[in-house]
Amino acid sequence: MNDHYFWYIVGAMAFGTLAIRGSIIAISSKIKISERTKEIFSFIPAAVLPAIATPAVFFHVGKVEWLFGKERLVVAILALVLSTFFRSMLGTLGFGMVALYLLTST
Amino acid sequence: MLPITAGIIPFGAVMGSVAADAKISFFNSAAMNLLVFAGAAQLAAVDLMTKNSSSMVVIATALVINLRFLLYSAALSPVVQKSSFLTKLTCSYFLTDQSYAAMSANEDQFRSSAEAIRFYLGSCICTATAWHVSVSAGYAFGNFAPASWSLDYAVPLSFLALVVPTLKNRRYVVVAVFSAITSVLLNGMPSRTGLIVTALLAIGLAAVLTRKSGRHA
Repeated sequence: MNDHYFWYIVGAMAFGTLAIRGSIIAISSKIKISERTKEIFSFIPAAVLPAIATPAVFFHVGKVEWLFGKERLVVAILALVLSTFFRSMLGTLGFGMVALYLLTST
Repeated sequence: MLPITAGIIPFGAVMGSVAADAKISFFNSAAMNLLVFAGAAQLAAVDLMTKNSSSMVVIATALVINLRFLLYSAALSPVVQKSSFLTKLTCSYFLTDQSYAAMSANEDQFRSSAEAIRFYLGSCICTATAWHVSVSAGYAFGNFAPASWSLDYAVPLSFLALVVPTLKNRRYVVVAVFSAITSVLLNGMPSRTGLIVTALLAIGLAAVLTRKSGRHA
């Protein structure tokens, strides 16, 4: 990966991320953010995060083959259940990685 | 503070090992952690960079993932409204899933904004320390982790673990399921733009769902 490519991306990400983080803090003294807007904001994690995670479960290493490597789907479903009950990042990740290792190594 | 820090350690370890796996130098990885300071976006960005995606796609994807900071920025804004520019800047830089979670879990206990800011910055020091240490450890570890450990799968798993606690009621679940299905259907879109389109459609759906609930309330 060449340095120019890397630093260009990192620079833009750093600037853009700080701009998002500071945006509402910066404008809140001038513009009132409505409750409705805040409520819509609260849906952003639900709207964005599954869209990153799900294709990685179905299309392993970018291969467009449905259910290629079903182990990953099985592990994802089990991890989802575990996460729902225990809400533990450590537990979900640890369980998922060990389960996938066991399923793929046998 | 401990449970929050505990959640960062595996995430940081994954970030470090993924960066090492992508052959990013230790210095570059550490600089990225310091400058961007947003694990989920960094993970997705490094993943896309190793696939030689165009820089615009990588940047747009990372910023879409970081859109959730709008929510945290809105939550923190009343607390820092009367603070100096420097305090606002510092508080903004440190906004993360974890520092927001710590703040919202304790918000009833503060007697003044100053006290809330002190608590917030204290939690930020904990999260940032845990983050940088665990990424460094993950980087060292990732260099010799065998391929059979499927470390790349820790990325979607950590996103899954991040999103589940935010699903407070059925409407959040509907948006999350919609996002998951749409992202699979749009996976064939060029340059991974499916993520951006999915995110916008899902936020649109959230806007529709909240409007309906407002009318009935």
